[in-house]
Amino acid sequence: MGAMGTETAKQEQTGAGKPWIDYIQKDLPQHLDWWPYTLGALPLTLFGLLVGTGLLLTFYYVPSPEQAYESVDRITNEIYLGWFVRGLHKTSVDLMILFLFFHVIRVFITRAYRSPGELKWVSGSIVLFVTLAMGFTGYSLVFDNVSYWGMTVVTSMIGTLPVIGTPLLHLLRGGEEVSGGTLLRLYDLHTKLLPVLLGGLVIGHVVIVRLLGFAEVKGSHGFHPFYPQHTLKMGAIAAGLLLLIVNIAMIFPPLLGPPANLQEVASDVSPPWYFSAPFMWITLLPSPLALWSLLGFAGLFVVYPYLDRMLAERGWPMEVVNAFVATAVICAIAGLMYLDTQM
Amino acid sequence: MAIVHDDIGRRRFLSQAVMGFGMLFGLGTLGFRFLQFLLPTRLEREAETVLIGSESRIPLGEAVPMDLGGRKILVLKTEDGVAAFSRRCTDLGCLVSWNKERAQFICPCHQGTFDRTGLNIAGPPPRPLDRLPIVKRGEQLYVNIQAT
Repeated sequence: MGAMGTETAKQEQTGAGKPWIDYIQKDLPQHLDWWPYTLGALPLTLFGLLVGTGLLLTFYYVPSPEQAYESVDRITNEIYLGWFVRGLHKTSVDLMILFLFFHVIRVFITRAYRSPGELKWVSGSIVLFVTLAMGFTGYSLVFDNVSYWGMTVVTSMIGTLPVIGTPLLHLLRGGEEVSGGTLLRLYDLHTKLLPVLLGGLVIGHVVIVRLLGFAEVKGSHGFHPFYPQHTLKMGAIAAGLLLLIVNIAMIFPPLLGPPANLQEVASDVSPPWYFSAPFMWITLLPSPLALWSLLGFAGLFVVYPYLDRMLAERGWPMEVVNAFVATAVICAIAGLMYLDTQM
Repeated sequence: MAIVHDDIGRRRFLSQAVMGFGMLFGLGTLGFRFLQFLLPTRLEREAETVLIGSESRIPLGEAVPMDLGGRKILVLKTEDGVAAFSRRCTDLGCLVSWNKERAQFICPCHQGTFDRTGLNIAGPPPRPLDRLPIVKRGEQLYVNIQAT
């Protein structure tokens, strides 16, 4: 009984006994009303739009090497508003990844992952990687020449990993070579497994953020209710975002390159902008070093809050370090992207 | 037999541990089988010799691209003779092309460069191009496609 009593007291103290819905509806700190702190909600809105438009695209897309390109061509050029739906899907991906990057930069610079919020960063970084995997699989489905050779290069890269590389390569490709089976597997990943995983991870990330609480921000004193104030603001942002996406999709309608040619590599195999920097990195550095350094960066990225804590305990000025690291990384990425445009 | 609390605790722990491990083992085995289902079976390719044409039809200094049942090769004729190379770049599997002016094989994906003997001389490729043995019977050339 005594133990039970202590348990209840502990639950009351930490709030673990409260219904989960209370966490979602809990009043929000004042700073969440400031623009840079709303960046996390934007990818969530875009994810919703991606699911909707993606679902529409599956009604016409055919995941077979003979018909994939043709079906994308039909969607783009024949089906009523097909170009628009595909444009919305494509623009939403670009913006989702862009806003995820902005969100990461904001969290990094303000060190919002500080204890006890490490798990917020870790869960968020997994969301980022799964989103990039969605970008890659989706881009492969177009099956034009650039996407076909992109698919070949990326799967080969996975194959160079030690021990798990070859089985993983066969698992992804469904054989030794890129084939119809590969397209079907990537289609399954893009339309079934990864969206479900991403949906779960996004919910997990939001729940973790609410459970662990928001990081304290200087100058943020008051609170505002989740509903209606915050919900309305987010709604307004979502509406503005939709307006922006519709305009981008109309001004820059989606394009389609020449069909996949298995005998000739595309003249420019540059991937979409969000893979441009790692693509240049593997071009400039020798193979194993490039891959290992990319994996190293990814690992370091995930565990950064723990590294921050370790260094902060030793007296490092982490605000300055983070500002410096962020600037250096952004400059390096911009430089690599510029190099890619020149090649 | 008198039952003491400790014993119950131990029994419960043991039974739960056995059930837990059993369940994990069962699920693990099932998961492993599912993974095996997803992994494609490797088809053994037999070694074969394929006729690629007569030597006189390949111009000097040129490399002729061929597709032998999915195996993409380049047959290069130089002063040293005729040689066949796999077109698959040893970096990340793009297809190399022959550049006559530079007398080099170039991979367009990451600018990997190989000399006319197939040796990797620049860019990310970690090893030379795969070379396929050529057999000459009279005027006709045959390529040996090795078993994989």
